[in-house]
Amino acid sequence: MTHSLHRSGSIESLRGDYVWMMYQTRGINDSNIPEKAREIIAVAEACDSENWGDVKVGSVVAVPPEELKKILRKESRVRGVFTSRRQVVKFLRGVKEKDTGLSMIISGLLDEVLPACREAGVEPHTINFSLGVWGKKELLPGDDVMAITTMCGHHMISPDFVRKMADAVRQGRMTPGQAAVKLAKFCPCGIFNPVRAEKLLAEKSPGKAEAGKEAGGTVA
Amino acid sequence: MAVVNVEKCTGCGNCVPYCTVRAIRVEDKMARIDPGCCTECYVCMREKVCPVGAIEAQPLVGFGEIFKHTLSDPTETLKETGVPGRGTEEAKTNDVTGRFRPGEVGVCIDLGRPGVGTSMRDVEKVAMAVTAAGLEIEGPENSPIGLVLKDRATGRLQEEVLDQYLLSMIVEGKCPVSGLPKVLEALREVEKQIDTVFSLGLVARTDANGHTPVLEILEELGLPRPIRGKVNVGLGRPLAG
Repeated sequence: MTHSLHRSGSIESLRGDYVWMMYQTRGINDSNIPEKAREIIAVAEACDSENWGDVKVGSVVAVPPEELKKILRKESRVRGVFTSRRQVVKFLRGVKEKDTGLSMIISGLLDEVLPACREAGVEPHTINFSLGVWGKKELLPGDDVMAITTMCGHHMISPDFVRKMADAVRQGRMTPGQAAVKLAKFCPCGIFNPVRAEKLLAEKSPGKAEAGKEAGGTVA
Repeated sequence: MAVVNVEKCTGCGNCVPYCTVRAIRVEDKMARIDPGCCTECYVCMREKVCPVGAIEAQPLVGFGEIFKHTLSDPTETLKETGVPGRGTEEAKTNDVTGRFRPGEVGVCIDLGRPGVGTSMRDVEKVAMAVTAAGLEIEGPENSPIGLVLKDRATGRLQEEVLDQYLLSMIVEGKCPVSGLPKVLEALREVEKQIDTVFSLGLVARTDANGHTPVLEILEELGLPRPIRGKVNVGLGRPLAG
């Protein structure tokens, strides 16, 4: 999967968006995963991770955290999101100290993540570099909508859903925070950043420039 | 597969904006799902998208349908790789697997992403173009593309999946760093021949500062220096050599 790599948006907005992920390798370091995952979650919670989850059971915006921790399994892959470099540094120091032996990944702006690694005393091993979007780019929605849809890299959040939520905010039927949480519930991994989404919904009214495009459906 | 129960559907249209590929529309006061466009991601069956539960999953028939659903719904797991989502781990476990070694570069061509979807015929065009340029596409143990390759030497896919439309599909493989310019040149050509988009990622071992010769190659080719990356911070054990 490269579901956290190609998040889009302004540089300023992306400075508030860092995905963390925990990975085991089948048959090599996949023993005691629920216990190790709970250790990593404890570190993430101490760093005020804005969202976290496991794709198989959902994220904390939809399922109570204590319930999620109980149902972790050998196959669980826990991941979440931070909004600041400070949190990333604290998290990396914490997981290094826990020494679970699991692979840890931070996805974000390289001019933030690499200094964070140095500060935390960990060394990059391998990087997947994003070269952006190629091909028939005229099929893409506007940048402001895509800044939100790409926060669920599996694309469980459609551009029309974002426009629907933006309309609800503009019309005063939802707060930006409520709309952000509703969007986040569709990202089962827990890497959707509700804090960044709330800001984008409040500041930019995504989809406004595309008002003439087919939005489809009624607003709930 | 996702189908509308005509006995339950009220034609309210609430489901329409949630569809990830605009496969649902309301006609004659009834929601209808275009099976040729639907990727079977099953978003329409979550979080009470349908207030009366009129969208239901019927059993998937045949490898093509199962493959489409599994690759489009991240809550599923591709049994062949054991990895949820689209069944691939690229850089994420490379500190333990050592799959990408110094001097090699991984190329992850994420077709249909972000949010457009892709036909498997376009996947085949790209797979054939990069194979001809020297990319060694991953086998079935590491990546779903390996499961549907008919011929690894050409990048041709199995006929039974060619008519499927997926939310996304990764063509991934690796080559020597020295071979990267030819692969990127092939991508520059084939991007003009497909009816979708792809997000491109390059996987490389780096030094402690995140540097790799791959960045110099990008500069020589006039491609922008990547600003985003997914950084494996090397805490996995046992550490691969």
